[in-house]
Amino acid sequence: MDKTQILENLAHAAIEGDEDLARESAEQALSNQIDPLEAVEQGLSKGMAVVGARFESGEAFLPELLMAAGAFDAAMEILQPEIEAQKKEITKLGTVLIGTVKGDVHSIGKNVVATVLGTSGFDVVDIGVDNATLDIIQEAKKAKADVIALSSLMTTTMPAQREVIEVLEEMSLRDKFLVMVGGGPVNQEWADEIGADGYGKSAVQAAEVARRLLGREG
Amino acid sequence: MAGSGKTSKPLIKYLSDDQVEETHQRSLGILEETGIQVEHEGGLEALEKAGAKVDHQARRARIPRDLVARCLETVPDRFTLAARNPEKDCPLKPGGRPYSRNGGGADFTIDLETGEFRPLMLADVRSYFKLMDALDGISFIAPVFGQDMPVVGRDILMMREALANTDKPIHLRAFTGETLRHMFEMAAVVAGSKQQLKERPLVSLLEAPISPLRFVDVTVDALWLCGEYGIPLDVCVMPIAGGTGPMTMAGNLQLLNTEFLGGVVISQLAHPGAPLQYAARPMAMEMRTGFSLAGSVELGIMAAAGAQMAHYYNVPVSLHGPWSDSMTHDGQSILERTYMTLMAALAGANVLVGAGMMQQSLVISHEQLVIDSEINQIAFRAVEGFPTDEDRWAVDAIARVGPGGNFVADPHTLQFLRGERYVPSLLCRDSRETWEAGGSSTLVERAREKAVAILHEHEPNPLSDDVSKALNELVSHALESIRG
Repeated sequence: MDKTQILENLAHAAIEGDEDLARESAEQALSNQIDPLEAVEQGLSKGMAVVGARFESGEAFLPELLMAAGAFDAAMEILQPEIEAQKKEITKLGTVLIGTVKGDVHSIGKNVVATVLGTSGFDVVDIGVDNATLDIIQEAKKAKADVIALSSLMTTTMPAQREVIEVLEEMSLRDKFLVMVGGGPVNQEWADEIGADGYGKSAVQAAEVARRLLGREG
Repeated sequence: MAGSGKTSKPLIKYLSDDQVEETHQRSLGILEETGIQVEHEGGLEALEKAGAKVDHQARRARIPRDLVARCLETVPDRFTLAARNPEKDCPLKPGGRPYSRNGGGADFTIDLETGEFRPLMLADVRSYFKLMDALDGISFIAPVFGQDMPVVGRDILMMREALANTDKPIHLRAFTGETLRHMFEMAAVVAGSKQQLKERPLVSLLEAPISPLRFVDVTVDALWLCGEYGIPLDVCVMPIAGGTGPMTMAGNLQLLNTEFLGGVVISQLAHPGAPLQYAARPMAMEMRTGFSLAGSVELGIMAAAGAQMAHYYNVPVSLHGPWSDSMTHDGQSILERTYMTLMAALAGANVLVGAGMMQQSLVISHEQLVIDSEINQIAFRAVEGFPTDEDRWAVDAIARVGPGGNFVADPHTLQFLRGERYVPSLLCRDSRETWEAGGSSTLVERAREKAVAILHEHEPNPLSDDVSKALNELVSHALESIRG
């Protein structure tokens, strides 16, 4: 099998959400001496971009997006050790710490955003649901996060998004992190009102906004 | 041939009797083998003592079949949502007539004057309670919250507003077990005493396990507190097909029924005989956006099957009625809520839930409430059927008029002139000329006019000064205590 075919298969595996094909193609890439970085960038990521575009246009469903991410991760498990062995590095766009704010236990939307960010070239640290403000800030410092992404599905917990920003200011840490907000009742107006740096109304848009905030457009 | 009685109650049925029984059996199997997660140490201990296999580390309780059967036996088959004004009581029993309430928890409103979409404020909460108090098609009232109300204690303050603005039954939403106890104490003050509240529960509550199969501490607290105070509780089971529930309608119903039984066991173990309602609220996730759908026809189908399970367990059932994904009170909204409401009523729902709500339960409007009052009353009428006593078959009248005549002035017509038909208050049934002379108004415009008129004229039945004063003291005490 030639290189072009293997790269195509990697892209195809992501598009189809086929973890078996992803693993198999990743192994073939390595046994055919294909640069593992190239396998990611010219194979897997191209497939992910196709799925992302299909999702944004309404053609693909959420589970397909998540399964694409599953295939991506399956291939990465094989490619990543080789990338490290060759002392190479995938260009990371930045580190995003993501979590649902205090009092809110909703996780599905936040998980989708985390997944899409992860496959869009960000390092993602997911701290789960119902996080106290100070814990969020502590974890962000620990993770050396560039972006703090806060999820809230209820208007009763939206004020906790504002609180994170206020406490960051009080601690003189506001300029260390970009803050993004999202969730069902959250909108751009709310993001502006509380002084957040960004808001995305879907997972794919959240990734675009994060990319833009970090000056990594295109 | 005694001509008597009434038409039989029409019931939508999707499941055969065998399928109902099999669904029940599969739920028992799931409870026994997979079990439920109970994030409440007291709850786990009670389950273990009663024979469940408990893994305290994983907080998982696997519940044997006979325990479920035992708990089902003690669930009452009926209860009454009592009102401050007894004429507005809502007695709920399987096979009984439906009642209705608004959807709870809206955070936004469409401004009655400007039509603008904006956050819901305390002033709106008061106007909504007052409006619903006056609408005949809204039987009892659920909380809507003002975004300018303090977050801690918002549930308590909401209840205080509701008590001042309506004498219909009130359906509570509690944020913590502690605030719930305060609210029940407030209800006891209005009822006269804790015992009188038990006899005539003026409030009811909704608690929802988190799908799939997870009962958090506040849910267990609420189940038990309701049992202690004799407060009717909606075990609100709402797995979201494709998200927190299986993608298939059958699978989502299976999970929903299993979660209901989990709630029954936790409740009845602590308080045998505690009144419960099967609140079958199947949801479905929009598989592109992740939103929870409100107006999809499949919800009506799954809910009707859920009602069959409730009938099998012989408990009252509450279903989503007027509900919609639409952003405002437009044609889509009225289309979706009309079929949702009719399906639910014809499935045998005791309570039709959702009046006023749009956009996946985020937004409420005055116009929509007025329209939903009408839709609900049409649905009440639809399940009522018609009386079939001998006179009404009109054999004598048909003989009297004979071939070719008409019935307009026949005594039989006069006898039954009133009462055979529901007379709508919002629907235009005039000539074009009359309609044009009246301003060519649309349904929504007429609803707006009616809302404005009600808000202008209606005076809710006030609480006595003594009760008001006692409540105010209780509220300040409660707020101090929860704010520490």
